[in-house]
Amino acid sequence: MDEKTKPNQDHEAPSTSRRNFFINPAAAAAVAAAVTGPGQLLAATTAPTIPTIRIPKEIPVTVSEPAKPGSFEGRGMTGAEVFAKLCKDEELAALFCCPGNYTVINAIAAAGVPAYGGRSEGSMCAAADGFSRVTGEATACSGTEGPGFTNMIMNIASAAAARTPLLVLASNMQIAGDDREAFIQTAYQQPTTTGMKKFGKRLIAPDRVHEYGAYAFRNMKSGVPGPVHLDFPGEVARARFTDSANLKDYYTKEKYRSESRANPSNKEVQQAADLISKAERPLIVAGQGVFQRKAWEVLQQIAEKQDIAVVTSGPMRGQFPDDHRLSASVAPNALMSADLVVFVGQYCMPSPGEYKLNPEIKAIRVHPVQEDLGRNWPLDLGIVSDEKLFLEALANVLPKKKRDPWVNELAAARQAWEKKNLDEYALGLKHSAATDHLHPAVMAKEVHDFLYKGDIDPKQTVTASGGWTTGLYAGRWLRANRAGQGVVCGYQYGAIGPDLAMMIGASAAVQRGVGPQAPYKGAPVLVVTSDAGVAYSMFELDTAAKYKIPIIAVIYNNNSWGMWPSAVGSARSMHMYLFQENLRYDKMAEGLGARGEYVRTPEQLRDALKRSYKAASTEMASTLINVQALKEFTSGKDYPPGIYLNPEPGTGAFAH
Amino acid sequence: MVTPLVNAQDGKPNAGALTAEQAKKLKNPVPYSKKSIAQGRGLFIRNCAGCHGNDGKATVDVIADATDLTAPKTWKDGTSDGEIFRSIRDGQNASMPAFKTQFHEDEIWGVVNFIHSLWPESMRPSLQDKESTEPEHGKSK
Repeated sequence: MDEKTKPNQDHEAPSTSRRNFFINPAAAAAVAAAVTGPGQLLAATTAPTIPTIRIPKEIPVTVSEPAKPGSFEGRGMTGAEVFAKLCKDEELAALFCCPGNYTVINAIAAAGVPAYGGRSEGSMCAAADGFSRVTGEATACSGTEGPGFTNMIMNIASAAAARTPLLVLASNMQIAGDDREAFIQTAYQQPTTTGMKKFGKRLIAPDRVHEYGAYAFRNMKSGVPGPVHLDFPGEVARARFTDSANLKDYYTKEKYRSESRANPSNKEVQQAADLISKAERPLIVAGQGVFQRKAWEVLQQIAEKQDIAVVTSGPMRGQFPDDHRLSASVAPNALMSADLVVFVGQYCMPSPGEYKLNPEIKAIRVHPVQEDLGRNWPLDLGIVSDEKLFLEALANVLPKKKRDPWVNELAAARQAWEKKNLDEYALGLKHSAATDHLHPAVMAKEVHDFLYKGDIDPKQTVTASGGWTTGLYAGRWLRANRAGQGVVCGYQYGAIGPDLAMMIGASAAVQRGVGPQAPYKGAPVLVVTSDAGVAYSMFELDTAAKYKIPIIAVIYNNNSWGMWPSAVGSARSMHMYLFQENLRYDKMAEGLGARGEYVRTPEQLRDALKRSYKAASTEMASTLINVQALKEFTSGKDYPPGIYLNPEPGTGAFAH
Repeated sequence: MVTPLVNAQDGKPNAGALTAEQAKKLKNPVPYSKKSIAQGRGLFIRNCAGCHGNDGKATVDVIADATDLTAPKTWKDGTSDGEIFRSIRDGQNASMPAFKTQFHEDEIWGVVNFIHSLWPESMRPSLQDKESTEPEHGKSK
């Protein structure tokens, strides 16, 4: 028996349990006592016979195996291997899956695509989405037949709302068994994803597997991206090919799709430049397309050339830095003053009134798809163009111009926004002190100060937020100061609880240094979410531990669903909205091989963040920080201000 | 006139809130005019419509079980100007935020006027604009 396959014998071998995150045993004991109280330390020292949580040897060994793609030589390639080779040639950035669809996921892993296996298909789908949101790259998720596939549905829909280039894969019985309910797990997959995909196909002809792989990437990498769903019957995945001539349309990506993009005409660019130059207070809404097309540098050039305000929108943030003097993302009061808005890369259009803009504002929209121009928002100028090509063309014709009054107004609005948030923080401190529980405004501000006001590079840490009370408060304080730094987990679809799972993907991307994450390769990521939300994906802390992709999860534990106020006026309802009080998510995290921290004061949270960041940076260890709160903090009547929606667009926005 | 942020809490929740009696005595200093209705509408659309809907009917159930603002006869917390002002300023029940940290007082009164414009025509106050007797928004359908 070789080392790769030998079962684990020694249960006392080095492990990833929190006791081993500290080199000095005395320091470890002191920290354990300080953080979790004597009970935890006692448990750690009096239960020596209980085996420690550990990563099996097979995981690091098989992760580091060299790629071994299929070949037409010898036994030939399976349909799955043909498809996997295409995925590799297309630089599919990562695969997140649960076992099932075995032939396909094994082939993709063998082809050399980074692959991750997790605890539920839904979470793995969210992880693939998260990886894509912080890199702009196409990623894949996979699950088995009916149940694995249907477990992904919420997160496929979320990816569709976010226009994520996500390849959804699933096995699906045999063509020969169609409509017979043979054995188990029969599902009609393609109708199920109607309305949540850009393209989908049940592959029914083995020799067309490459052709439909090309369909998939052509759709994900052209125009406005979106999920593509392919389901693989056994006859396709397991078909064998010893000659490429037996495959339909078997040619390289240069022949089955084009990198050609829509160019704006000189006349249209000049019209846009004239409108912008004539405006007194122009505003660019830099949406997802700016990120997808990696156009953030030219966007900044344009903004600085004419003192144009920029606010970001979309499922990721940072395509224009929040800390830039021209950023309106943290200056919502200035939005109403803008007299011209230029939507660039706004894939999901709001309607007037959904954005905090003057109803009389003039509007330009730049979008790669003509049919969408004029939808929802009336336009003064619509331009069909690739976002980057438009911005580059605009940069060439736009004259320099100073707009001191507008810049000053932005600065004043930024100060006003900060003051409002600080006033709420001051209230939150009082609420916290009065109740001995942490108010969400305090939690959010402490996280903010730790990430952006201390020793950490404010551009370094990728963050996300979710949950209701939690997400609204955290959204006001989290910042994106560079491309790919912020993830808006609930963007548009409002998926419930994908946050931690999404950050599994984001962390994997940062650990690999993919795309805009390259300068921050290896940094920890941080997510702020709720007790209700984390229940959907907390088991993925196991995945984070086994792959050493560190996450700091700040969990706002208010013992309830955030919507509990909806039960107040209904005598027999509240039980449906509440959990047991004081559940210990930190302990659950420890049980999954992560670190756990429990906090109730600002000082405790500050210290826990420091320890967690250090553990993530040096030991690749994940931490769940249980922030104990009260549900009543949601109530504006009892603990003002309570909750309210954040202005859109800008930091904390999630609808469009 | 600007409402200061909530006073020191002194360990008590929402110590700066108006009582029901105080609210009933309040008089709306902002005339019920087309201009104030329009201003109130702007704030309403951006801050309130998420729960109450653009038309105030609260038919969207995504965020909260909000009050139908077009049916004042069903309200539980009073329909006087001051009582509406109090609900906006200090929050109502557990799900209605307290907007005193976000709006100035005169802005809240503007929203009060806009809400009046959503009422059935027979219950609305009289417009105080000289040139018109019909509000811009909230006409009966």
